[in-house]
Amino acid sequence: MATSKAPPSHSLQIHRLPQSQYIDAVRFLPAFSGLDRFAVLALFDTHSSSPSLQIHSLPKSTPPSLNLQSSLSLSSRVSSLSLSLSAHKPLIAASTFSGSLHILLLDFDASVQSEFSVPEKSLHVGAISCVDLQESGVECVSVGEDGRVNLVAFGDGSRLSYRRVWDSDGLVSYTAAKWASPTEFATGGFGFGLQWWDLRKPGGPVSQFKGNWAQRTTSGIVHSIDIHPSRKHTCLAGGSLGTVFAWDLRWQQQPIILSGVGTSEVATHSPCESEVWEVKYDPYMRTSNFGNMSSSRILPAMLCSEDGILAVVEQGEEPIELLAEPCAINSFDIDRQNPSDVICSLEWESIAILSRP
Amino acid sequence: MEKSLVTLDNGTTCSSWNYNGERLATGSVDGTLAIFDSIDPASSSFTCTSRSRVHEDSVVKVVWVPPEYGDAVGCICADGTLSLWEEVVEDAQPLQWKLCKSFGSNSNKVLDVQFGVSPTSLKMVSAYSDGHVKVYELLDPLELKSWQLQAEFQNASDSVSTFGKALCLSASVSWNPQRGESQQSSFVLGFHSDTPQLNSAKVWEFDQNHQRWLPVAELALHGDKGDQVFTVAWAPNIGRPYEVMAVATHKGIAIWHLGLNPDIDGRLSVERVALLSGHDGEVWQMEWDMSGMTLATTGGDGMVRLWQSNLNGVWHEQAALEPTS
Amino acid sequence: MPGLTADSGNALVPLSPEAHVSVVYPLHHGLKPPISRLSISWSRGNALRVSVFRELPAESSDSDGEAGGKVVQVKLGVADGEVDDAQWRRIAYGSVSPFALLQSRRNSVLALSKMSMSSSPYHPDWWEYVMEYSKDISSLLDNAKSLPNSMIDDPKTVLKKVEEPTCLKAAWGLLEIFYADKESQAWLPERIVDWLADYDVLFSGTQATVHSKLVEFQKEIVRLQVIEDDPRYWEVITSALAVGWLEIVVKLLRLHGSYQLDQLSNRETENGLVEAVAILISKMPRMRPELEAGRLGECFKTKPDFIKAWEKWRAQITKLDCSSFWVQCDHRQTREGLRNMLQLMLGNTNNLCTSTCHWIELYISHFLYVRPFTVGLESMHALAQKCIQLKPISSSHRLMGLIVGILGENTEVVLAECSRAFGPWMVAHAIELLTAGSDQAEIILQEGRDNLGGISIEELHRLIYAQVLSSHALTWQIAPIYLTSCMKQGMGLLEVLLYKQPVQDNQMLLKTTEICRLYDLESISSSIMKIAGVYHWKHGRKGSGVFWLQQARDEFRLNRIAQQLFDFVGRSISDESFKQWEGLIELLGSESKIAGGLDFLHKYRDFKKSLQQVQVGKTTDAAQQAVESLISLMRNPSTPQRFWLPLLHDSLKLLSWQERPLLNANQTNLLLNKLQELSMARLRPDFIEANLPPQALSSVRLALATNLGRAILEE
Repeated sequence: MATSKAPPSHSLQIHRLPQSQYIDAVRFLPAFSGLDRFAVLALFDTHSSSPSLQIHSLPKSTPPSLNLQSSLSLSSRVSSLSLSLSAHKPLIAASTFSGSLHILLLDFDASVQSEFSVPEKSLHVGAISCVDLQESGVECVSVGEDGRVNLVAFGDGSRLSYRRVWDSDGLVSYTAAKWASPTEFATGGFGFGLQWWDLRKPGGPVSQFKGNWAQRTTSGIVHSIDIHPSRKHTCLAGGSLGTVFAWDLRWQQQPIILSGVGTSEVATHSPCESEVWEVKYDPYMRTSNFGNMSSSRILPAMLCSEDGILAVVEQGEEPIELLAEPCAINSFDIDRQNPSDVICSLEWESIAILSRP
Repeated sequence: MEKSLVTLDNGTTCSSWNYNGERLATGSVDGTLAIFDSIDPASSSFTCTSRSRVHEDSVVKVVWVPPEYGDAVGCICADGTLSLWEEVVEDAQPLQWKLCKSFGSNSNKVLDVQFGVSPTSLKMVSAYSDGHVKVYELLDPLELKSWQLQAEFQNASDSVSTFGKALCLSASVSWNPQRGESQQSSFVLGFHSDTPQLNSAKVWEFDQNHQRWLPVAELALHGDKGDQVFTVAWAPNIGRPYEVMAVATHKGIAIWHLGLNPDIDGRLSVERVALLSGHDGEVWQMEWDMSGMTLATTGGDGMVRLWQSNLNGVWHEQAALEPTS
Repeated sequence: MPGLTADSGNALVPLSPEAHVSVVYPLHHGLKPPISRLSISWSRGNALRVSVFRELPAESSDSDGEAGGKVVQVKLGVADGEVDDAQWRRIAYGSVSPFALLQSRRNSVLALSKMSMSSSPYHPDWWEYVMEYSKDISSLLDNAKSLPNSMIDDPKTVLKKVEEPTCLKAAWGLLEIFYADKESQAWLPERIVDWLADYDVLFSGTQATVHSKLVEFQKEIVRLQVIEDDPRYWEVITSALAVGWLEIVVKLLRLHGSYQLDQLSNRETENGLVEAVAILISKMPRMRPELEAGRLGECFKTKPDFIKAWEKWRAQITKLDCSSFWVQCDHRQTREGLRNMLQLMLGNTNNLCTSTCHWIELYISHFLYVRPFTVGLESMHALAQKCIQLKPISSSHRLMGLIVGILGENTEVVLAECSRAFGPWMVAHAIELLTAGSDQAEIILQEGRDNLGGISIEELHRLIYAQVLSSHALTWQIAPIYLTSCMKQGMGLLEVLLYKQPVQDNQMLLKTTEICRLYDLESISSSIMKIAGVYHWKHGRKGSGVFWLQQARDEFRLNRIAQQLFDFVGRSISDESFKQWEGLIELLGSESKIAGGLDFLHKYRDFKKSLQQVQVGKTTDAAQQAVESLISLMRNPSTPQRFWLPLLHDSLKLLSWQERPLLNANQTNLLLNKLQELSMARLRPDFIEANLPPQALSSVRLALATNLGRAILEE
């Protein structure tokens, strides 16, 4: 088991692997077979203007290395990447700037077994901002700045079907999405707005969160949302101005701010000041008595930012800085099987792999 | 060294990149306006995203409107008409290029048009075949339909006298590229005409107090004032204590320094620092790079030439590009 | 300066390593001639785009299937075959931190020296910072692919295969030796010996070198039965000795046949002589503080110690040379070869000259065996001139120009050589080493020049490098680091650069505005967001359009948008589609202060909501609340006049509430007055008629009149 594994070292280990291509997104593949683990990289070669999706094996060696397993060229750059396990095989959903959606079913050796795609202009007008696959991998939600919310279903007949859940005609733009349960998901957008959707109650979001807390002078955009499987009532969001906040559906209009420069009292705790590109609950950070913890207390979360910070923030605690790079950290992922390990993509065409003690 | 970015349609006569080099507009002999875009950010692969017929006659020049006013172009056609086209989504229709305004031609053809951004509004200068210059101002920042004629004058240093019956073959306008808040609107303009007084390049500045345009400098040596001007280009100024401009006539490409502080009469001091020859004949186009240190030119000899000043302030041809198959 | 004209050196932007005045480069477009016209446009940085238009065929316009033209992009001044694009970017990324660190150290040292009023502007140990910087930069310049080191030490592998070094690194190394490393000034010749050992291979491309000789011989070694019979063996050994590669020499000597066990007995003397020479070589005195492990020679830190050892060593050589054992050595090649080596070690110029290939090798050999005490650039320069005369070179190598420039003590030539041969990155970064070198260089490089529009040479080269960075989508974000280190024109160029960044994608836009935030460029940031706002607004994304215009604090446009929104809302006032606007109003509501007239929409939404509740619940309380909203809307001056009638018409139910009149007499009068005002306004030509049934006005008036009557009765 992952938890019983002895850490290789007592200090944080960081390795940087230059790629010679821009990395649009990076994810660990959920472990599904054997001893090897894999990472998925969405790349963009600026010289030939060719985007691609690559699967690399990532042996647990020191120093770590990325070994290319398979590569798939795409017609447009990847705007969002989501992974899940379906029937014990990994499923990758990649959305693009041209508006197409690609779903890849992988085989046990991490080779691409089959690829399905929805062409551009069918789901969204323009780019897809974010896609999220359900844990079970049956449905995928897609959102865009055009104000549409779509559901793409990956059926048994290996066919993709899709339907429109909502269309705001561009009056509201969505920039992030995350499933909470098989029928509920959350979306985020401009003005730090969050929306809660329930497929059982069609006709718009069932609940909305307005970002007008504490007399902020400037507003921002939600770039990333995470929802913990054990805390489905809480939506964790990261966005502009170093902001990470949680929206508890039970206490509708008062956000719990974990980080951010716009608000005076939390500013001292804020690990970064610029865009938080991605935020995720960090399963590695254990609070001493997890079981007794009040369900209103927010679990520790990891963030990466434009000012080059990878850090863990926790309610009422000093943030723990894992990485401070001279360039932006655009995306990261935590290894679910071995949560001490983190992979992240740096603006300067490289991947960093961290191993926590 | 070179990289091919776009393949153009048959019959393409002119092209223009927008302010950040992300979109290309081209005009063709059958009156088509084509737009080329890259799908992805930072990509250098461009495809045609729109083709619209803007006129029956050939398009001879395409000019982008400053981006603060949308994605729009002005098209000058061979018959001297000018029309403004804008890319918009309106009333649940998909994205398309729409005509916002047409400046019809009676007897006078539009020879050149350029847009300038002032702190409060968008200004459009158009130069006509009769030697007249019109300055229009946009009334509504979100509607490219509503223009108001702000001024009309001739390109003469002496603003009092007028010259009738001028016949102009071409004109060239170049706005001061500076966008600062305090900056006065100003542009340089030269004609290729049969009326010597109108030809030489003059710098026009808007006098805010009296709401009128004034010529503040003339970019020609005493004996050259009647020389027909092919094209002019105002260099970006990132901090020099003077402005730099290039003026092309049949004598060559002249590089001018323009002082920043007016004398009592409101005139600015000028100095010709170089006269460069190379294209032996007509100069088609001159473009300054973003630092204002390198001037690129094209001309009748079919070459692209690059000009720079060395550490001693001496201008010279740095390199030339010769198109070949 | 030898071989240098002012023209090639003074160019602002070097267009290629070999840029001269009016070099004509071909521009391949692949079109069938004739070409009718060209059009040019600068993209960001130093990328020039050329549109090439083909002449239209006279008759059939589209029959020949050829393209009508091409647009070709040329990047000026970045061509370098040695390092590929991706590697260049890696170097560019890696140089940022060392450069920024050095700048911040300079600023704090300057601030400190100002406080203490000290005469010297720099810290006495400033060069240590520069060295740290130099080492950091140097480590970036290795070749990407390094060969794995073989673990097994093969006695026949005299020349270890290592990664091929880059000229770039070699050039940087030279600059470091001569300008930055103050500690090595005392043993400069030895530093150059080491430098050549690392980089001699670079000269092999154009002509024979000691290195290329060794490589050739290495291939032969395994095939040679009796190695010492081969004249090339002795030639290679002597050459390696001449340039001071002592380890290789000793290793080669030990391959001598006399060392073989079966031969040892009958070649005793011969073997003794070989070994004696090998020992002498390995004990060669070196005037340097230390040698890496495994390197041969004995180090002496001070000159007197060294001179003593050097004289003793030479005496030993002379003694061996005069020894009687030579007569007993039967093997002619061995005898001659070894004595040749001894002559070389004694500094025989002829021997040195014949055993070296390149003038720089000859130069090095002089340092080793003739003039180990050479100090001062002047004498070093004179020696170099002599060596060049002895070994003239046909094709000049780019490193040679640099060496000659350095020895000639001409900062401007060194810079020009760096620029010509290695491009803008090199110059921008090497200036830090040059200014550390001498006060004079500092003055030359940092004084403002009128011919350059008031900037210094240092600033000029930073601007040029920043422009190269700007021309690539992945490196432009680095340019601000260099631009902000410029005193005069950096910010101006930065503003132009930021303004030209694409705004369509939010992530890229935010990366741009983040740079604006870092350098307090608020007005540029708001221009960019304004452009983004207009772009989204016009492209059907009204919500994000409004958001960006709000961020830009562009009240002018927001007010215009408010007018447009009213038009829309005015049209669909009774529509279900109003629900869709809720999200937008939500967004506006959070910042109603900036939103200008949009504030009205927010109130209007509240009114609509309470009106809906009335439809569903029909409670008098809800109705009363709706009335309050209505009154507050009608009182609010920001409510446009054309909404008055639609609002009242929507509220007909409230105005004629069954249970009791909801409006008091005062309120009713207010509404009646508004109605009166409206009737007057209708006579004006610019009045916009609401899209309502024709009897709307009269039915509202009737309802209000009735309500007034009921209210008066109630009061």
